[in-house]
Amino acid sequence: MSAQSGGAQPVGYIDSVYCGSGVDGPGLRCVVFFSGCNLRCPFCHNPETLYKRGTMSDVNSVLERLKRYRGYFRRGGVTLSGGEPFLQKEFVLALAQALRAENIRVCFETNGHIADPELIAAGDIVCDVKNQQTDDLSPYEHFFAECLRQGKSARVTNVLVPGVNDGEEKLRALARLVARYFPQEHIRFLPFRKLCEQKYEELGLPFLYADIREAEPGDVDRAEAIVKGI
Amino acid sequence: MSRQFAPGAYEHTIDVRNFIQTNYTPYEGGADFLCPPTARTRALMDEVNALLKKETEKGGVLDIDTDRVSSLLTYPAGYIDREKEIIVGLQTDAPLKRGVNPFGGIRMARQACEAYGYKLSDLVETEFSYKTTHNDAVFHVYTDEMKAVRHAGLLTGLPDAYGRGRIIGDYRRVALYGVDRLIEEKKKDKRAYGERPMDEANIRTLEELYKQIDFLQKLKDMALLYGIDISAPAQNAKEAIQWTYFAYLAAIKEQNGAAESLGRVSTFFDIYLERDIADGVLTEEQAQELIDDFVIKLRITRQLRTPEYNELFGGDPTWTTESIGGMGEDGRTLVTRTSFRILHTLYNLGAAPEPNLTVLWSEKLPESFKNFCAKVSIDTDSIQYENDDLMRPIYGDDYGIACCVSAMKIGKQMQFFGARCNLAKLLLLAINGGKDEKSGKQLGPVGEVFTGKLDYEKVRAAYSKYMAWLCRLYVNTLNVIHYMHDKYAYEKIQMALHNTEVERFLACGVAGLSVAVDSLSAIKYAAVTPQYNEEGILCGFTTEGDFPKYGNDDDRVDSIAADLVREFYEELKKTPAYRGAIHTLSVLTITSNVAYGKKTGATPDGRAAGEPFAPGANPMHERDASGALASLNSVAKIPYDCCRDGISNTFSIVPSALGEDRETRAENLCDMLDGYFGQGAHHLNVNVFDRDRLVAAMEHPELYPNITVRVSGYAVNFHKLSRAHQLEVLKRTYHARV
Repeated sequence: MSAQSGGAQPVGYIDSVYCGSGVDGPGLRCVVFFSGCNLRCPFCHNPETLYKRGTMSDVNSVLERLKRYRGYFRRGGVTLSGGEPFLQKEFVLALAQALRAENIRVCFETNGHIADPELIAAGDIVCDVKNQQTDDLSPYEHFFAECLRQGKSARVTNVLVPGVNDGEEKLRALARLVARYFPQEHIRFLPFRKLCEQKYEELGLPFLYADIREAEPGDVDRAEAIVKGI
Repeated sequence: MSRQFAPGAYEHTIDVRNFIQTNYTPYEGGADFLCPPTARTRALMDEVNALLKKETEKGGVLDIDTDRVSSLLTYPAGYIDREKEIIVGLQTDAPLKRGVNPFGGIRMARQACEAYGYKLSDLVETEFSYKTTHNDAVFHVYTDEMKAVRHAGLLTGLPDAYGRGRIIGDYRRVALYGVDRLIEEKKKDKRAYGERPMDEANIRTLEELYKQIDFLQKLKDMALLYGIDISAPAQNAKEAIQWTYFAYLAAIKEQNGAAESLGRVSTFFDIYLERDIADGVLTEEQAQELIDDFVIKLRITRQLRTPEYNELFGGDPTWTTESIGGMGEDGRTLVTRTSFRILHTLYNLGAAPEPNLTVLWSEKLPESFKNFCAKVSIDTDSIQYENDDLMRPIYGDDYGIACCVSAMKIGKQMQFFGARCNLAKLLLLAINGGKDEKSGKQLGPVGEVFTGKLDYEKVRAAYSKYMAWLCRLYVNTLNVIHYMHDKYAYEKIQMALHNTEVERFLACGVAGLSVAVDSLSAIKYAAVTPQYNEEGILCGFTTEGDFPKYGNDDDRVDSIAADLVREFYEELKKTPAYRGAIHTLSVLTITSNVAYGKKTGATPDGRAAGEPFAPGANPMHERDASGALASLNSVAKIPYDCCRDGISNTFSIVPSALGEDRETRAENLCDMLDGYFGQGAHHLNVNVFDRDRLVAAMEHPELYPNITVRVSGYAVNFHKLSRAHQLEVLKRTYHARV
């Protein structure tokens, strides 16, 4: 069965497609940034995906665009990110299936709050754990449990914000969570950066983390040492 | 007693390729066999580094010999440190001392001396007052129109005041056959041509053969100055490298062409190195030492240039291009251990722009070699890549790259270097009814002066008309230049190392492609209105609305680029080229994109007057915002079949965007090259660094003395670039995932 065949094609709302990343999953990747998110993290790096509707696209047009890059995908593939891709289930499933039919690997970057079995089954998972504004990690318990039930692992990332979530307690709680489900996985800390400040300005939105300093490589090293120590 | 080489056709005719094919050993292993520099190499390199430092402190030129005219036998033997050198021979009698070569033009030689505080000797001035130089002769013939387009910067960088370069002698022949055999073959040819009807072409060939034989004799004498007899074939690896180097040295003593490239020597050397190693007379350490020593010599190649020249070709380049790797026609890889060894000099001797190490990339290259190349790129930013799978079907498996991107069969093909035409300025000319937007002068035929909102179809039609006019003028101008170069500055030793029957290319070029293309896209998809000053001269544009920009894998605009080069190429072919040369086209600017920008008014794409162009076939700075791969895909659409002289793309990516660690970055870079070249793209310069590092290097050059950056088809030491060139490099797109 092909996603293109029969009936009305599902449509998705996409902010942009970025072709050429070496850091959004294995190998070289094209990243589709979906519009819309169920969270409102004040440090969000892509605020334009939160407040703009994006461009309505059908599966075919996105697929055709991505297929142009297959020559680069020996180790890589397509990453569906956002925003939160899992909010657009029908479209994401159709797109993932169409890509797989072309032998292009698919990976999702999700915030882990939507533990949908079909979506989780549809590609590799990168889950970004948001522990900056809360200590409640229970949503991830559901999400990781579903991954585990399907026998798949999730790569876990975490935006490390100095003075916000780099304390020992928060880091240990995060490490324990990950260790419980995926003892083999190594948490990848993404240093908090303020390159997105201009985007907030353009959107006329306050950037609430403006006064917080950017994370340095030393901060990441320190966090890694702490999570290793649990 | 050395083992015999495997026999082959090369024994009967001059055929280096056949010798390589019958004797080389492909290498598919890793880099772990490589040796670090010996104490001797380190000590010699320290001496060279001290000299290089002095050269920089003296403003870029260490010394000039103003009394003698550079040629094969002008100077006595020169050494860096006689005790420490293994491969010998310098251009003059001292390292980094530059010779004077006024055959291209005495004025340029004089000005170059003056620019660095020297005065050309009265002796040389007097001698050349009785001589017609290439430069004199060209200007005796140039028409007013040719002078006008040259002056306005519509045609720029023409080789009419210095050696044309871009000719690769098959320097390996000297090692394989010895000079006596080569003389004998040329004499045979001369006798055969003597039997033909004595028409103009035949007489010219006979005179050239006389000069070739004369200079082969001089080559032998030059080697004898160093106490070395190269009349017979080289007997071991050290001799093979020495003989080959002498041949190259003779070429750069005789000629000062912009690009004097080396060819494809590594795998040829490998045959001798591996034989000596197998015979137990050479160790790996000694093999590396020979290559290191050879490369030290190539690194101190110098020519005397004027500041105006440096504006076009920034960073004092010599384009000592060595083509490495590639695949053979029989499917075996041409990668050998010496392909690794020569790249390894970038570690042993430190990163450096010369020789211009060029990897001929094929999807089928051994994985271990691909991985090694990628790591060298990431560590040193000193290699460029060209698509062997694209060139091999056209040029076979023994071609080399001259300069940056110009492929030719070694010893069988040569080119007439033709610099380039400014496509962006030509568009302004078309909008402005044939007037130069800078001076207001009527340069081309009088045409419609466009006013009000520009109509794409009409502007495009006018552009075609002016393109046809310029292409005819361009080819004719080049015909004058190359006729005179052959007559007054013929490359005697380089052509002696070619077959007598040689295929010639007329290598034309374009600059400002992305500016012209985005401008046309703006006219087509946005609303563009030209503005005129009181004198009725075009002075700017108002552009309203957005438009697709080249560099984002958007066919709406990328197709404009492909159509433009195809049309330009078709127009060029309509005017016959001198000596039956085949017209070719490059999309390459060297660093002249800065100078061309200065000479070009504001353009419809929003580029301000005087602002630099993007280099080569690159998308305009920061306009390729859809990611690195989208940018690559756009450039890959420029068709090589009508740009046979090369399509240059200079690519910069920040390390953190390429991958998290060195191993991942290397893998991803390999995938990038495979993906790019798999689409038929031609060339990629690879830089892996942060913009911040260059800003720091610009502000504190003393802290970053050896930063090498790939610019347009070659590498330079960043601090040797002018401020304007440095700023242009900083403006380029650094692909980063934000």
